[in-house]
Amino acid sequence: MAEHIIGPVAELPPGSHRVVKVRNLEIGIFNVGGAFYALPNICTHQFGPLCAGTVNGTTACSAATDWRFAWVREGEILTCPWHGMEFDITTGRCLANPKVRVRQYPIAVEDGIVKLTL
Amino acid sequence: MVAAPGKRKTDDLIIVDADIHVNDTPAALTPYMTQPWRKSLEVMGGGTSYLNVPGFAPALKLDPPIPGGHPSRSVHTPAEMRQGLDELGIDLGVLFPDNLLLFAVLPNIEYATEISHAYNRWLVEEWLREDNGLYGAIVACPQNPHDSAREIARYAKEDKVVAVYLPTAGVHPLWGDRKYDPILGAAQAANLPVMLHSVTVVTPQFPYQLDQFENHWARQMLSHAFAMQANLVSLMHTGVPARFPELKVGFTEAGIAWVPYMIWRMDKYYNEYRRMIPFLEKRPSEYVRDRMWFATQPIEEPDDPRDLVATIKLYDPDGSRTLYASDWPHHDFDHPKGLLKLPMSPEMQRNIMGASALELFGIPAPVRK
Repeated sequence: MAEHIIGPVAELPPGSHRVVKVRNLEIGIFNVGGAFYALPNICTHQFGPLCAGTVNGTTACSAATDWRFAWVREGEILTCPWHGMEFDITTGRCLANPKVRVRQYPIAVEDGIVKLTL
Repeated sequence: MVAAPGKRKTDDLIIVDADIHVNDTPAALTPYMTQPWRKSLEVMGGGTSYLNVPGFAPALKLDPPIPGGHPSRSVHTPAEMRQGLDELGIDLGVLFPDNLLLFAVLPNIEYATEISHAYNRWLVEEWLREDNGLYGAIVACPQNPHDSAREIARYAKEDKVVAVYLPTAGVHPLWGDRKYDPILGAAQAANLPVMLHSVTVVTPQFPYQLDQFENHWARQMLSHAFAMQANLVSLMHTGVPARFPELKVGFTEAGIAWVPYMIWRMDKYYNEYRRMIPFLEKRPSEYVRDRMWFATQPIEEPDDPRDLVATIKLYDPDGSRTLYASDWPHHDFDHPKGLLKLPMSPEMQRNIMGASALELFGIPAPVRK
């Protein structure tokens, strides 16, 4: 296990994300409302470049929304650019299939520097 | 209950038939009609041919008659039905109509509503009064959903009414459209499963535009199968299983091999398009496993019967969502022996041949005399 410096927090403001290469791994670094997350840049589905996808919200519709469409989780949902599979950045879970989950690498901010442990 | 003569291999097995048919001629329903539609049925009479009665079971029959083949059968009385089931070794059956298989294509709303009332009264009064192992599905009226909902509530407490039949041949829009919500809501409130049943039909409505095929063989390939697939998708795409969380849905007369194909396909595109159907909070296959049932007839007959059992297991590992159905007395009925010869576990066999249906329809297990 080693720490890898990703860069200053100022370069990754809330709502931004970027793909970095650490050793031979491509990893997506996400700032969701000030909290950092690191996910592998590979989709569980057909191995597409997951973290090259867009970050957005998604829809919800249930008795709780009176069966009207609602826009929820703005900035928390990552969509794979290949086939549109949605993942919750904060948990790594696939929205369409909770049994599917991408791993999350430990990531933290120390003295204004974003550091990934790998 | 009348026991079938002789000892059978199936004597220890309860056999419930999820789909048998009564012959609902215009003459039979006439006494249950009010004017002026009673007049219409009087004009049609009783000697009309099966599934081909203008204004009642309107069908576009395109094929020239070819001598030979096997005769069509119809059943006109409960005693006749009981005898037929006894000969097949079937304990209990759920009655569906013959001619009203084409009910959804009737365009006159007031007339269709009246027919639905008459059929339901006729069914209950003439077929379901005796303790003869016959149960029934009342017909829903897609032409008049609010009236149909009241009709379902009216029959909710009838012991031998165990389902609501959703006429599927030619229905437009397909089941799942929100206009039918009152029907589905009433069925859910009455704790009655809804049963989709189609028939070969040529109409301008999706997916029944089968006029381009040269013969009935081809139309038979697609009519029931497309009907079930299209209506399953339609139910899913407006979130019926989420909006009616207690509703049980049965699919009849399309066999079962299409089910794994459709659940895999729905799941695959749920991955991609979940945001369009967010009311589905689970994968479509999970809703299917939870609350949808599939009747076997016309059962597929692969060369290796193990392939069929494996196919059922793809959507229903223990047989609890699969219902034996004969479709008696129709031309392509399945004898119980056609299912009993399949290599499956005793539990799976017990479920498919009867236990699944007893559970779905809330029918008490019959006591053998």
